[in-house]
Amino acid sequence: MSLGDYLRLQRARHGGVTPWEIEAATDLPKGLYRQMEQRYRAVGDDESVRILAGFYGVPFEEMRWRLDWPRKALSRALVASTKTGSPLTLHLWNGQEVTGKVRWWDLGAAAVELSDSSLIVIQRHAVERWEPREDGDVLSEDQFPKAEG
Amino acid sequence: MAENLWALREQKKLSVAALANRAGLPIGLIIEYESGQRSIDPRHLGRLARALYVEESDIKLQTDRRPPATAVTAPREPARELASAPRPPAKPRERVSHSKSPPRPPAPARPSQITYLEGLLKRLNRNVADLETEIGRPVADLDRPTASELIKKLQAEAAQAGPVNRHRAYLPEAVDAYEAQYLSAAQEQKPVLHFTLFDGTSLSGQVTGFSPYNITIRRPDGSETTLNKLALVSYTKEAAA
Repeated sequence: MSLGDYLRLQRARHGGVTPWEIEAATDLPKGLYRQMEQRYRAVGDDESVRILAGFYGVPFEEMRWRLDWPRKALSRALVASTKTGSPLTLHLWNGQEVTGKVRWWDLGAAAVELSDSSLIVIQRHAVERWEPREDGDVLSEDQFPKAEG
Repeated sequence: MAENLWALREQKKLSVAALANRAGLPIGLIIEYESGQRSIDPRHLGRLARALYVEESDIKLQTDRRPPATAVTAPREPARELASAPRPPAKPRERVSHSKSPPRPPAPARPSQITYLEGLLKRLNRNVADLETEIGRPVADLDRPTASELIKKLQAEAAQAGPVNRHRAYLPEAVDAYEAQYLSAAQEQKPVLHFTLFDGTSLSGQVTGFSPYNITIRRPDGSETTLNKLALVSYTKEAAA
């Protein structure tokens, strides 16, 4: 789960407190929280993560490592698996490990074909880490999924 | 077949305020669109479609007037004193016109109307020149009501021509089409899906509805449960027994 998704989940668990309320209660610069939560690339640094870990009452490390696994990096891995047909292993929030070929993906979910040919639809925010990890910084526009209809 | 905005909104059980909020548009604008006072700006069509979870082609650009509610009212009883002493028939009121100036000419067509008109013509494989010959003047010279009538006419033609396979904008928040397609198929074919939640629980049921944020399922006992996607880890079709 990316830092953005994790912050979204924490916010939901804290009664849907708004980004503005969080910024008012902490020393975060205006607009930073929203960007950290919503951007697909990694936004934030150790200091901002430390502030938010304190606000939500979670360990700093539990939050910090997620900054290195942003949504965009997952998109890169999904693109690579879709293009090459090579299997991708997803480690999910609930400890489940799913390996298979990516059949489709969009910005909300990904469908993985398992070895028994069944399809499992995984919510992207439930993905903690994945293998192999694709390097690179930018997801070009042609790598976004093309919606049909 | 394209439907009126108000009809789609009511189907989705949304208030005007909720729709405005979801689409990120002012409430006043939604009211104007729904009352047919103005045709929907094509730039807002995508937002409204996403907020209602329909295709853009499902929304009529020029909304029809909502049919009046058929309220049944009991005939009024005349007041007692009036019943005993009938009044002489009232003189019909004369309509007094306060405006001395002649009626204003209709406003020129909005640029958005022209743009939409051109888009409709493209969909119908017709060109602007043919239409201009048909109506006897350049499209750019159309007035607002005439443009509106033309749009309605062409919309009807386009609806008869069949649905259009539209490409949605490649914006991150818009690209949820694959899951939507999967869930649409599940809603139609009604397989039992098995959902795994973040808290470790799991649920099974048939999809009865969904939005970008929720999935509603009918459980085996007939009850309905709405699952927030944020609470979901994954789902899969249950293996046939």
